[in-house]
Amino acid sequence: MMPSFKQLSASRSRMDYLLFGAMAALVLLGACCIMSAVNSISWSNPVVRTHLVALPVGALAFFIGWSFNYQIFGEQWKYMYGFILLLLVGVLLFGSYQRGSRSWFVFPFFSMQPSEICRVCLILVAAAFLNLRGRRSRDISSLFSLGLLLAPVFGLIMMQPDFSSVVVTLPALMVLLYCAGVNVFYLSMIALLVFVSGFFTISWTYIYLHPELLDYAWVRVFHGLAHNAWYIAGFAVSVILLGYVLWWFFRYLRVFLPSFYFVLASLVVLMGLGGGIFVEHQMKPHQRKRVEAFLAPKSDPRGAGYNVLQAQIAMGAGGMTGKGLFSGTQSRLGFVPERHTDFILAVVGEELGLLGTLVVLGLYLIVLWRIVAIAYTSSDRYGYLVCAGIFGMFFTYMLVNYGMLIGIVPVAGIPLPFISYGGSNLVASLWALGVVQSVHARRLRA
Amino acid sequence: MAVGKISLNSRLKVMLTLALVACGVIAVRLIDIQILRHDDYLEMAERNRTQVIYQNAPRGRVFTADGIAVASNAPSFSLYYLGGTKDISYLTRLARDFAPHLHVPEETLLSKLQTGASTGRALLLADNLSTKSTVALQELQFYYPGIYLVEETKRNYPYGIFASHLLGYLGSMDERDWRKRDVKLGYLLSSKLGKNGIEKKFEKELKGKDGGVYLEVDYRGRVKSIIEDKKWAAGSDVYLTLNFAVQRAAEEGLRNSKTGRGAAVALDPRTGAVLALASAPAFDPNIFVPYSDEAQENPSKKINEYNLAIQGVYPPASTFKIITGAAALESGMIDVNRKVTCTGKYDSGPRIFKCWGKHGPVDFFDGMSNSCDVYFYTIAAQIGSAAIERVQRMFMIGRQTGIDLPGEKAGNLYGPTRRARNKTYWFIGDTLNLSIGQGELLVTPIKLAQLGAAVASRGNVYRPYYVEKIVSNQTGKTQTVGQPEILQRAELKPETYDLLFKALKHTVDNGTARRVKINGLDVYGKTGTAQNPHGEDHGWFMAFAARPGEVPSIAVAVFVEFGEGGSSAAGPIARMMLEAYFADTLREAAAARKRARKQALQGGENHDA
Repeated sequence: MMPSFKQLSASRSRMDYLLFGAMAALVLLGACCIMSAVNSISWSNPVVRTHLVALPVGALAFFIGWSFNYQIFGEQWKYMYGFILLLLVGVLLFGSYQRGSRSWFVFPFFSMQPSEICRVCLILVAAAFLNLRGRRSRDISSLFSLGLLLAPVFGLIMMQPDFSSVVVTLPALMVLLYCAGVNVFYLSMIALLVFVSGFFTISWTYIYLHPELLDYAWVRVFHGLAHNAWYIAGFAVSVILLGYVLWWFFRYLRVFLPSFYFVLASLVVLMGLGGGIFVEHQMKPHQRKRVEAFLAPKSDPRGAGYNVLQAQIAMGAGGMTGKGLFSGTQSRLGFVPERHTDFILAVVGEELGLLGTLVVLGLYLIVLWRIVAIAYTSSDRYGYLVCAGIFGMFFTYMLVNYGMLIGIVPVAGIPLPFISYGGSNLVASLWALGVVQSVHARRLRA
Repeated sequence: MAVGKISLNSRLKVMLTLALVACGVIAVRLIDIQILRHDDYLEMAERNRTQVIYQNAPRGRVFTADGIAVASNAPSFSLYYLGGTKDISYLTRLARDFAPHLHVPEETLLSKLQTGASTGRALLLADNLSTKSTVALQELQFYYPGIYLVEETKRNYPYGIFASHLLGYLGSMDERDWRKRDVKLGYLLSSKLGKNGIEKKFEKELKGKDGGVYLEVDYRGRVKSIIEDKKWAAGSDVYLTLNFAVQRAAEEGLRNSKTGRGAAVALDPRTGAVLALASAPAFDPNIFVPYSDEAQENPSKKINEYNLAIQGVYPPASTFKIITGAAALESGMIDVNRKVTCTGKYDSGPRIFKCWGKHGPVDFFDGMSNSCDVYFYTIAAQIGSAAIERVQRMFMIGRQTGIDLPGEKAGNLYGPTRRARNKTYWFIGDTLNLSIGQGELLVTPIKLAQLGAAVASRGNVYRPYYVEKIVSNQTGKTQTVGQPEILQRAELKPETYDLLFKALKHTVDNGTARRVKINGLDVYGKTGTAQNPHGEDHGWFMAFAARPGEVPSIAVAVFVEFGEGGSSAAGPIARMMLEAYFADTLREAAAARKRARKQALQGGENHDA
């Protein structure tokens, strides 16, 4: 009797070939686009050479991740946690200082960026921690203890500083927490925290860009919140009062919510304000420029918004089928910045057209779908959590990269795994998918 | 565990759905950017990467009716450095070799080259170079890679001041021009465009399509390659009705005249086509389009744009006796053979009017040929001023000729009706003044030429036109511009014209207009000397001519400001113009005469033998 496809793929195979195929296609496409972006297929080009060396290393990492039982990470998470801290402290001590941050280990023949590996390790550690907490994952105590556990790691990353690494890791952890069953209220509180601090940061930057707005009294008061202690105190009192009024109002309506929620919400808003003030005072000029560029990309076509505009021109010029590899003028002549790393999608868009960008998007969707499918069949909760975390990571990468290009997310300087140039990122991403394959290989047998 | 997992699985499903929605949004936006706005972005990308070194297209040429190009184009060159090496010794050598040809100091050129080399951009070293220096530069560019000589064209008027008032001149784009003509019409900040005359009127047709060298540049403007060398398309050619020789004769005559100030107009009485339209002093439109490596005249200096031929108004003086005469003949109240005795003065009652000489007894023909004022006073008093005014109106005195040129003056009609409209009185003295073309009567030189042409054609008052056709250099298509147009018919009795012709012929053959008597041609003419209370008198001359047995084919009016006598100052110019126009006929006639003489001589010899 003929075995069905489902039986073949789901019950016998030790590898999810669809996931593997999508991954391989992305890597292949990526290699072509990188060569095109640096306009060279020669071994003598350092970018091409590094990428071609990173590919077998990444393949090795994938097979290691696949062949190792992922449950080892669940059991030995404390050692892994130690390993992360060691790497991050090491890079702060021995790393090389490049482009304003200390995030590279430079060895005689190659260099690596430890935060890429750490990001995957961090997901494995967080998954292991939540797995241990089991049903208590719902409680706020898990949130706090996980926060305490990860705080040193983020602190070390921020000391490099590697802002974009945090930008990708935090949403991935959020997805992980959500899938681990953490109370949606707490998660929304975290989202509220991010939103409030983001709101204050963006608003203040906007006012900074348009000083004429300060003619309005309420704008002046709002702006004063960043600097004047009395305003801050007033704001704090009114938030607490509002929380109390809301609590009383809900009681009056006979909707009984835990009073703890109201306290928390008020606290979170205040923390958001604190975060906003912190960011406002800490923000470096080039970071402020990025926010500016996001708010008004056309205001300064030669300035910060220039990059996004040029990337969009490149994509738009590509049209349906693109100009062909090695033929994009926008990328070849250097109009698209960071074209082999953060803006590689613009190269894809220009040279392979809408077809190219949609194929990459589709392949990513297949990767995400397969990760979810594998999570369903995992034999234990840890496997499920690992898949959720890695899903969150790739989802974030995809969202930020495409969002940046289509102008709904500020430029964050984040590569697109498998497509962008970057050995460490490629190796780490391939290893992560290897771990997912490992979960698949050790799935529940139907 | 299992129960918990189901609910958790559903959360992962929520995330996957979210991812799907996100992908949908992204896809929609990608389609928006890559398909819907594809054209805009493609254009922006092209603009990003191309830099154009524009090459002026040649403007259309302007030809006279006999096919001589009076506005043409001369080659001009621009020198570019497209970058390449930053090697200082190379640049120093380059500067040393090129500086003398570009007429700039070596240091200036070197510093310019150094900035150019460091930015890697295309650098304009010199433009508007003449062929003189480019021969050397063309050779030099082989030794210096990165040097690029771009050929352009430049307006050139081979005959300098020739018909400058008609041709006009070129100038740079100013703010007003920008509002009317922008980049979409192919204009650049450096473009030159017509500022006056034909250059302005036919700007659209004359303007060609600029070519250019399209360079591919990178994000810092560094030249990467030459994409294409797009050839220009020349503008359309304009064909004038001018006769080169007649125009030339008119200009030379005016320039060499007593004061060098005046105007001469020649019309074809059969069509109204302008054969010559000259005004002196004139200007050389070449000074507005100089070469950079030649000594330059200051183009901002005042040029004489005043076109006396259409803008100068003066009393027609004795040339007006044609109209007085025509009115008298038409009235039927005079006998052309009745003699009037000229004693040098005429007593009108309140005042005594003088003649310019004592002519004794004169009939109509002698009166005309001697331009005897007393004769015309007498007949004017006889027929009355209204009759003269009526004939004035027939020939459209006091109205514009309707030539398609800006700023034409109408002149002034003089007569009792006009007076009555102004509610003032008309005296006998006015009639007498009118009869000899003085008083408030004013005409432009072109008006007088139109009058001459109207008499020559026995009554056809044509609208003068000077542009025959426009021929496209791209398609070869011809567009007719000017066509004969009769504005009005001066309906006089045929006998009137016969007698008028006879009188004017008599004037040329035996009278004041003897200077235009040309063997082998039928010439008719009338002189005029306009009294000028402010200085020397102005000289007028009006004539028309025909080959024997044909209808008149040219009518000329010459005016010399402060030239004193019409015969002495304006006559020779008119004669030169007529001779130029009939050069072929005259040469043939002379040859025939010579042959006949030779034959007669030989015949005589033969007879002897």
